[in-house]
Amino acid sequence: MDNFLALLEGFSVAMQPMYLLYALGGVLVGTAVGVLPGIGPAMTVALLMPITYSLDPTAAIIVFAGIYYGGMYGGSTTSILLNTPGESASIVTALEGNKMAKAGRGAAALATAAIGSFIAGTVATVLLSFVAPFVAEFAVQIGPTEYVALMIVAFLTVGALLGASVLRGLASLALGLFIALIGVDALTAQQRYTFGNPFLADGIDVVLVAVALFAVGEALYVASRLRHGPVKVIPVAGRWTSWMRKEDWKRSWKPWLRGTFIGFPVGTIPAGGADVATFLSYASERKLAKGERKKQFGKGAIEGVAGPESANNAAAAGVLVPLLTLGIPTTATAAMMLVAFQRYNIQPGPLLFEVEGALVWALIASLYVGNLMLLVLNLPLVGIWVKILQIPRPYLYSGILVFAAMGAFSVNFTPVDVFVLLVVGVLGFFMRRYGYPIAPMVVGLILGPIFEDQLRRSLAISQGDPVALVSTPIAATIYVILIVIFVLSFWLKKRQQAMESEVVEEAPLAVADRKEG
Amino acid sequence: MSAVVLGYVPNALGDAAAKAAVDEAHRRGASLVVVNTTRADRLVDPAYADDDDMSRLQETLQGTGVDFTVHHGTSRDTAAEDVLDAAERNSAELIVIGLRHRTPVGKLIMGSTAQSILLGARCNVLAVKA
Amino acid sequence: MSSSINGAPGGSGTAAPARPLGEMIFAGMIVCIGVVGFVAGAGIPIPPSAGVVGPRVFPFLVSGIMVAIGIGLLIQLLRGHTGAAEEGEDIDPSVKTDWLTVGKLVGFLAIHIALIVPLGWPVAAAVLFFGSAWSLGAKPWWRNAIIAVVLALILQFVFAGLLGVSLPPGFLLEGVEIFNG
Repeated sequence: MDNFLALLEGFSVAMQPMYLLYALGGVLVGTAVGVLPGIGPAMTVALLMPITYSLDPTAAIIVFAGIYYGGMYGGSTTSILLNTPGESASIVTALEGNKMAKAGRGAAALATAAIGSFIAGTVATVLLSFVAPFVAEFAVQIGPTEYVALMIVAFLTVGALLGASVLRGLASLALGLFIALIGVDALTAQQRYTFGNPFLADGIDVVLVAVALFAVGEALYVASRLRHGPVKVIPVAGRWTSWMRKEDWKRSWKPWLRGTFIGFPVGTIPAGGADVATFLSYASERKLAKGERKKQFGKGAIEGVAGPESANNAAAAGVLVPLLTLGIPTTATAAMMLVAFQRYNIQPGPLLFEVEGALVWALIASLYVGNLMLLVLNLPLVGIWVKILQIPRPYLYSGILVFAAMGAFSVNFTPVDVFVLLVVGVLGFFMRRYGYPIAPMVVGLILGPIFEDQLRRSLAISQGDPVALVSTPIAATIYVILIVIFVLSFWLKKRQQAMESEVVEEAPLAVADRKEG
Repeated sequence: MSAVVLGYVPNALGDAAAKAAVDEAHRRGASLVVVNTTRADRLVDPAYADDDDMSRLQETLQGTGVDFTVHHGTSRDTAAEDVLDAAERNSAELIVIGLRHRTPVGKLIMGSTAQSILLGARCNVLAVKA
Repeated sequence: MSSSINGAPGGSGTAAPARPLGEMIFAGMIVCIGVVGFVAGAGIPIPPSAGVVGPRVFPFLVSGIMVAIGIGLLIQLLRGHTGAAEEGEDIDPSVKTDWLTVGKLVGFLAIHIALIVPLGWPVAAAVLFFGSAWSLGAKPWWRNAIIAVVLALILQFVFAGLLGVSLPPGFLLEGVEIFNG
């Protein structure tokens, strides 16, 4: 009951006109970057980090949360109308959604995606409201040893499971951990890896590295292989008067709910984020479909849009559970939101609900509000979102570079930081070129100092005996779960590959199209 | 034989321009050069006709009995430059384009293909209003 | 009937060649960073106040992981397992790497860095946008210039004027109040 009151309190904050405006701005920007190729929510939050200098924490967090949710909505629009998934979590949507659009059912696909996203987002936010405080209460009791275990889980799942190559993911993670070491050791005040350089003594700012990797690395990489192919023209969807037929509602509501309850838990555990959730939902919808409908899969089955899109948004809410209660980000965007908290000297973790209760509940309330805004905005405004795809790529990427340079300069107001931006950006370029994922590096960079602190504390307690790290019951359980997650995810990857090749056989066009996109 | 160059856009305005261009070609006994190119520098270019649009246009043109050629595809140059280039190469006596109403601000930001053609052409330009 | 004009750079460009050399260098660099990490890590002074686990332990751990992973990657590469370059909507995996454009962008970022202090942020930003747009092939040049100037002024106005981020306006805009925080 306490939590319910706190949530109401949160609404009273989030509904203030000023904060409503911030939420609106956030979801608008979020949808736009979700639609735009080349920019994702993580990069956007990184690029907009300068706003933390002048906005109050609640306003900034509401803006970033809006971008986070909005990005999820925007991704579905492009995957349905253009068959170019705006982000990885929308790939499955492209499979069925684009087929529907080609068959003149684009409006229904967009509608089921938007309504499903809204329902899933709302239900998942309700779950978040009740699960998060419970987890936080539990988390208050755990000690440094358990923390070390949890962070190892986060490191290994983000590093080893998310990318295509396990070693490259871990290499990226290690690079992040290494950069985090540069500067002054918090416990002993000794300089590490500064090579006598006063600039390095302050450490390399997280925002600087994130902006460099996400924005500059991406711009350089795109520039190296700019697409000049023939332009795909959108199969324009019909009028909004006939969004969904009665039958579409009938076929959609179950996948919406199933997607929600698949997506939320998958988002909560660091097992691969929203992509895994969408895939699981797609696979189960395909399995549950009967008769005629089963045959429609691969040719534009509405269930194949409704389920994964819901799972996608539910997972996005799920990701906030470990972020808010444990301070552990499991996706790149969550990592950037953690940085935003840190800018205000707020450390997400078990105590967040106690210390910064008002802020957290305002954030959660703003998620409800943002979801509603996204539903209202997305359907009628789909034409505008498609219009922004007409921005010529040279302007888009030049703009990204200018924003990145501004973000870098405003870290300490010295051009040296922009130089660091350039150097790390070039590193990001080569990482993309050689298939090293970016997200593990950012997560390593952010969690590295916290991890070291907890590791040293727990080893200090045990007098340096490393066995103590696995000997407490909770820590041991966490490691067992880690092993289970690994086994499961390798099995899932196999299944995913098997299913993808199956889809290739049944509908060769579907995957060929996807590769083009 | 003289030539009329048509800067085609796949919408109602473009079709109106095409109709006017056919009339002009008939009247002048000229051949028609249809130009539709894109720089392919964006994900969606509404001014670029896809293959379906082009074959529809060609069907229409074949029905009129005008002798025509088509320049269609991606190009390094802007659409305006391609139209002017085609006019130059074919020593065209007329360029036909569609011209829609635009606010001054919109024109400032987006620039205008039509404006570049009007200013850069060495022959007459027929601007068709839909 | 559909003819590409002016030698359009279609999607049928030559496939990117296998590039194990670059990848080997990158993996080798990871090993090197690990080795440097060990050497420099050994030089971190341990104050007597440090507990059981001093400031060197974690650097050694990370350096060790880097060396191990780097060697693992080198072995993979020697066996012919190259990395899959990242895919993206604006990425054409079939074309050769356009080093010239990458070099131009890096160059304009360098010019931008050099201009911030002497000429102020808006000028430096406009130069960066104009140069990048030109490098990436935007046309016509005058439109690039207009957008560059307008964008730089808007950003200066919003972030310095409204949000109070201290971007130096430069001597040109020194006296203009709306561009100063």
